[in-house]
Amino acid sequence: MTEIRIVNLQKEFKDLIAVRDLTITFPSGEVTCLLGPSGCGKTTLMRMIAGLEEPTRGDIYFDDLKVTNMAPSKRNIGMVFQYPVVYRGLNVFRNIELPLIEDKLPQNERKERIREVADIMGIQDDLEKDITQLDNSTRQKVAVAREVARRPKIILFDEPITNVDVDSKDQLKEALKRLTRQLKQTIVYVTHDQTEAMTLADRIALMRDGAILQRDTPRELYNHPNDVFGGWFLGNPGMSFIDLEIVEKNGSKFIEKGFFVQPVRLTGQIKDSKITLGIRPEQIKVTDQPGANSNQAKVVRKALIVGGQVLVTLSMANRVFKAKLPAAQGFPKAEIVYVEFPMNKVTLFGGDGKRANIQMSVVPNA
Amino acid sequence: MGKKISQALYHALLWLIAVIFFLPVFWIILASFKTKDQLLDVPIHWFFEPTLANYVDLFQRPNIANYLLNSVLISVLAVVIAIVVAFLAAYSFSRFKPGGTDLVMFLLLSVRMVPAAASVIPIFLMYSTLGWKDTMPGMILFYAMFSIPFSLWILKGFVDGVSERFDETGLINGASRFHVVFNVILPQVRPGLIAAFIFNMVFVWNEFLFNYLIGGKHTTMVPVALVTWMFNNSGVDWTFVATMTTVYMIPPILVVYFFQKFLLAGMTFGTVRGEI
Repeated sequence: MTEIRIVNLQKEFKDLIAVRDLTITFPSGEVTCLLGPSGCGKTTLMRMIAGLEEPTRGDIYFDDLKVTNMAPSKRNIGMVFQYPVVYRGLNVFRNIELPLIEDKLPQNERKERIREVADIMGIQDDLEKDITQLDNSTRQKVAVAREVARRPKIILFDEPITNVDVDSKDQLKEALKRLTRQLKQTIVYVTHDQTEAMTLADRIALMRDGAILQRDTPRELYNHPNDVFGGWFLGNPGMSFIDLEIVEKNGSKFIEKGFFVQPVRLTGQIKDSKITLGIRPEQIKVTDQPGANSNQAKVVRKALIVGGQVLVTLSMANRVFKAKLPAAQGFPKAEIVYVEFPMNKVTLFGGDGKRANIQMSVVPNA
Repeated sequence: MGKKISQALYHALLWLIAVIFFLPVFWIILASFKTKDQLLDVPIHWFFEPTLANYVDLFQRPNIANYLLNSVLISVLAVVIAIVVAFLAAYSFSRFKPGGTDLVMFLLLSVRMVPAAASVIPIFLMYSTLGWKDTMPGMILFYAMFSIPFSLWILKGFVDGVSERFDETGLINGASRFHVVFNVILPQVRPGLIAAFIFNMVFVWNEFLFNYLIGGKHTTMVPVALVTWMFNNSGVDWTFVATMTTVYMIPPILVVYFFQKFLLAGMTFGTVRGEI
């Protein structure tokens, strides 16, 4: 069990800062997904952990061992790349065995380990096959198996699923899930695919512009992003954002009328005269009948998305936002619908795009 | 049906072209089994009683074994040195990409654009000053130098075609750079090594000018011997030329025949990249 500690790490390329003064610890025995759009520095960060890229500044520790300038071969790590690295002309068994021979393991130990990982990855029937007979997804499984069989302290995955065709993606994802559950090892997994991160991660570290914006469990990150970017990047579609005015009355601050039935008072660090309300489209309650807590909205556009869910664009007090209706409910029947924003599902963001430290409370007769 | 006919015609055309190109070679091989009179007779004797007298004469000439041995030693050693240097250089250029790689690659290739005759004088003076004329090491190094640029070009294409992820996987799995270069990358560029070997081997095998100028009696290769022996009292000794050429052709023909699939890979280098 090894934790990865990163202290003030910075990586600069010619005119680009790929990783910006980063300090973070990846706990031992957990799967951390580095998630972010292309070019956010996630792969560079991982390559520095592996020792394939030299940091401009800062340090990396595996537990208490400083590895910043250590050669990759000395770090006792495993890494799987986007491109399945397999050796042609050798069968699967030999492919997995090669590094074990280099490690000078006795033959029965090698056999034992290879059988074990082959079982987990579901390639036990392919061991005798030549690499050229396998498709990309199986090749990638072989590449994963080879790294796991060495039992390194840390395993790094750099978008291992990206190059696999759609049909086998889920299968490979499942195999990886099984593997990570069984290994209970420190794993860092780079991806730009949020469903992959959601499925595999114990924690997701959301990256943008060389910085980690938030690191949380997938559920927490999804429901309560620290940042407008996190809300927008996760989910399909991302969070709905509504810019609201703050009005003052009797020395207290309230959200403008029209969105909540009862007046909502804001307390805490209110810096601007505006605030952004963020809510997941599927958490907005949309009904055909008026309810005690709902306000009128107009349907602007309707569309059907995956799984029979209905995505509607709504207009309410001159703000436009998206809401997702469950498949069972189907399309709204009229042009006018009734909308409720459950207060416990709402996240408030300040003008800087960060989650605001502001509480909402209903004041019935204000 | 129409497709079948056009394909048959196409094949016939290919055969025709191949035969036309092979005819002079065939004439030479035939000539080596003829007497002098038969050889110069018009029209050509297609059917005649073959004689081995020319071969007996050839192998009785003084030093013929030395010349053949020189040819083999110089071309094999020179090309082996060139390939080792070129492979390591190709790996370095491909992976470490030192500043100005493109310019260096161009300069190296430009060596092959200069006509050999232009570099005769500087090389002759260099070799005279260094005292390397008519020495085996001198001759071998010269041809190695001449073979490196082209080998480097072929091999860099091949090494570029092997994903750098192979190197990185090796390094992470505990291998040294040395191990990566020779046990991971080298087996994957083997067709390139063989192609480069054959191309350069054929070049050195047939080289005349420099062997004539900076060589000498210790380093004479067959092409130079061919020219020195070619004239006798009555003009050009055609049966000798035909016989020696026939013998000299055999090694490269065998090499090319057995490695032709690699040769093809070498000619198309750089067109297909391994990475997806």
